[in-house]
Amino acid sequence: MRMIRKLLDAIYLGAGVLAAVCLVAILIIIVVQMVARWTGTVFPGAASYAGYAMAGASFLAFANALNRGAHIRVSILLNALSAGPKRLLEIWCFGLAAAIACYFTYYAYWFVFWSWKFKEVSQDQDATLLWMPQSVMVVGGAILSIALIDNLVSVIFKGNHRITRDLVDQSFGE
Amino acid sequence: MTELYAIVLFLFVLFFLLGTGVWVGLALMGVAWVGLELFTTRPVGDAMITTIWASSSSWTLTALPLFIWMGEILFRTRLSEDMFRGLSPWLAKLPGGLVHTNIVGCTVFAAVSGSSAATLTTVGKMSIPELRSRNYPEKMIIGTLAGAATLGLMIPPSLALIVYGVTVNESITKLFFAGVMPGLILALMFMGYVAFVSLTSKDWNPTVEDPMTFVEKLQNSRFLLPVFALITVVIGSMYLGYATATEAAAIGVVGALVLALFQGSLNWFSFRESLMGAMRTSAMIALILAGAAFLKLSMGFTGLPRALADGISALELSRFQLLMALLVFYIVLGMFLDGISSVVLTMAVVEPMVRAAGIDLIWFGIFVVIVVEMAQITPPIGFNLFVLQGMTDHEMGYITRAALPMFAIMVLMVFVLIWFPEIATWLPDNLRQGPV
Amino acid sequence: AEKWDMPMAYSATNFHSENGVTFAECVTSGTGGEIEITVHPGGSLFAGADIKRAIQTGQVPIGERLLSGHQNENAIFGFESVPFLAPSFEASGKLWEAAKPKIEATLEEQDLHLLYNVPWPPQGLYFKKEVNSVEDMKGVKFRSYNNTTARFAELTGMAPVTIEAAEVSQAFATGVAESMISSGATGYDQKVWESLTHFYKVDAWLPRNFVMVNAEVWSEVSDANKEIINTCATEAEERGLKASMDYTEFTYDGLREGGMKVEDAGEELMSGLREIGETMTAEWLEAAGDEGKAIVDDFKAMN
Ligand code: NA
Ligand code: NA
Repeated sequence: MRMIRKLLDAIYLGAGVLAAVCLVAILIIIVVQMVARWTGTVFPGAASYAGYAMAGASFLAFANALNRGAHIRVSILLNALSAGPKRLLEIWCFGLAAAIACYFTYYAYWFVFWSWKFKEVSQDQDATLLWMPQSVMVVGGAILSIALIDNLVSVIFKGNHRITRDLVDQSFGE
Repeated sequence: MTELYAIVLFLFVLFFLLGTGVWVGLALMGVAWVGLELFTTRPVGDAMITTIWASSSSWTLTALPLFIWMGEILFRTRLSEDMFRGLSPWLAKLPGGLVHTNIVGCTVFAAVSGSSAATLTTVGKMSIPELRSRNYPEKMIIGTLAGAATLGLMIPPSLALIVYGVTVNESITKLFFAGVMPGLILALMFMGYVAFVSLTSKDWNPTVEDPMTFVEKLQNSRFLLPVFALITVVIGSMYLGYATATEAAAIGVVGALVLALFQGSLNWFSFRESLMGAMRTSAMIALILAGAAFLKLSMGFTGLPRALADGISALELSRFQLLMALLVFYIVLGMFLDGISSVVLTMAVVEPMVRAAGIDLIWFGIFVVIVVEMAQITPPIGFNLFVLQGMTDHEMGYITRAALPMFAIMVLMVFVLIWFPEIATWLPDNLRQGPV
Repeated sequence: AEKWDMPMAYSATNFHSENGVTFAECVTSGTGGEIEITVHPGGSLFAGADIKRAIQTGQVPIGERLLSGHQNENAIFGFESVPFLAPSFEASGKLWEAAKPKIEATLEEQDLHLLYNVPWPPQGLYFKKEVNSVEDMKGVKFRSYNNTTARFAELTGMAPVTIEAAEVSQAFATGVAESMISSGATGYDQKVWESLTHFYKVDAWLPRNFVMVNAEVWSEVSDANKEIINTCATEAEERGLKASMDYTEFTYDGLREGGMKVEDAGEELMSGLREIGETMTAEWLEAAGDEGKAIVDDFKAMN
């Protein structure tokens, strides 16, 4: 049990770190592209690479952002309910969210599968095989699905989800 | 009849999902899915992924996380305090005091950022703690921030104006210039409102600042130098042709890092925290944008936005009536869609209507930007409300009420723009014509 | 009744989109509403780059796409954007005739059935100064947006800069870019006379928009309706070609009115460009293999 817990938390953190690396990559790609232009050289496909990094920075971060309470929801009703009904409502929220995330991941998988099968390439100068960057949708979607199910299980069996607010975020709340 | 059924259904599902606490981005996906399953026979899942991949991997989007990151870095430096130390001596004496730093800060930052959310995060992260520590009314802090941050869409550069210009084939340069004066006037109107409330409200008891001599004020202004240096580098790089808007965002991050390094506030810990924070905030916005992109596709398939626009055009209204109808239409649409999507979705029908009525398309761009700005602060789907909820932990209802006066001022601004169209058209009309 | 959603990438007022709307009306009324086509212009359903895959996978039954945008996938799709291979409406028409069987077959393999295609106005060169020879172009910051245009910059000695479509106007206004290759229509739509001064009618190539149907959807259409759709498509092709020609002149006048010099390229410039064109034709043939060679041979045989 504890092993699984540790593994899951490591996955959420690891994906978050990768997403952060993607963010740094965006910065580096754009700066290099700019410097290349100033010096009269070219960085072909820079915009596409920045776009892929953007996708990585988003999809890989979803689960981490969920567990740190960054994703937004309307919690008026949740806050107004007492413990019992609130638990039921949370089960509905996490259940539906997990269903949507799984649906997304399933179709993302087939989308990327066909990209790979057809050897689809980027139409821009980078000519990247698209299944490679597109895989972040499947990986990120899967990790988000796992995180939502993880929380759903926690709500069902322990009575509460595992979302904790980030310390820095909390400082804004004071 | 189908349209009415569709509207009722969309609204019901949307309210139900959002109201029961489903995360906004995922709720939008749910609504879009229902719409597509009911109104088309097309494969929904494939269309969903095509759209979400296209919108999530877009180059223009990269400016958003970069400007957020820039804000996170600035937040962790002394720059926020410095900006207040520099601005406060000049603004403290105005009726309304330091709340004006919110508006002035947003106005200045709007000149480097193309987006409202990025303006809100950057300025808000600097100003909210400062204003709170000085005991200003919470509602004013939140409300002015929600409203003034929308200037990021009006004062150039502006993503909304680029999208509009490309959609209706009008000069983006002209649109940018058209946004300058209305942006500044709107900022002044916000400041006027703050002054008015501060003079009439009983709850207005901020911590009194120590009086300063003029020389002291000037000396304190040195604290503004880093901020203005950064802004000058970012704006200058754009207007002198060294960088595009997205690249300017990268320059902003590098500049912020350099300044933080000089201040000694950049270490491994603060760097890591700023990066992870930016990663999470931009993921939050990215999830909503992904949901919005899918909803836009679903709406496109159902033909709902176009049917609504067609309904208006069938009424054969006068120019003023048409603008009023469009104002109401876009306010309603803006409640549920992000502003840029509602422009893209409807312009195909609205553009011919507006041209036929003899309305100047550059002027109309500014009109549209104001209604898009409104959409940022109207519930249930208002970007600035979401971002502020994430930043302050206040409920949506509270933030909405705080932003309501700003909404009213924007409505007033629409009438000012109708009565004095020159404030939008004068600058672009008097641009140097022909080659530079 | 069947409902066909038809995504198109360009704005509602663009002549391709207007032509598409007329085609849609023709089909809808011709089939007595059995097939009702709704046009979604301006990328309001799917963006240009996604439209081909959307049709292929049945996300939409029909749509329009600039086929040369898919050269990375198959070099053959770039047959009409080889610089200076077919530099006029007439030559471009012949080139299409030569390429038609190959392109149609390649599309069928991808589950796409071609209905009609319409050329864009010819591509010319925009500058911020007078240019009389390839020599004059050296060092000019040139907007490149794909491999063809990047290679063109390289061969002419210009400095390629990558600028996304949405940022083109701003890039010219601020001097990030000083030149581009595009049709008179693009320059007219983007009002580039605010920053650029010279347009040279070099007619480098005429890209084409293709309206395609998902092959499975097409196979289920009744023969009577197929005939109606084909008639509408033929009409659309003729109407579109004429609109493209008219629009070419219209935009040249528009550019002049905006204050630009719109001229034929001088002989020195043209001969330099043709040389570059030959190099690029050879390079394209290398990429496109036997099929490409067959197209070019057939085309040259027609002249
Ligand atoms: Na702005
Ligand atoms: Na709204």
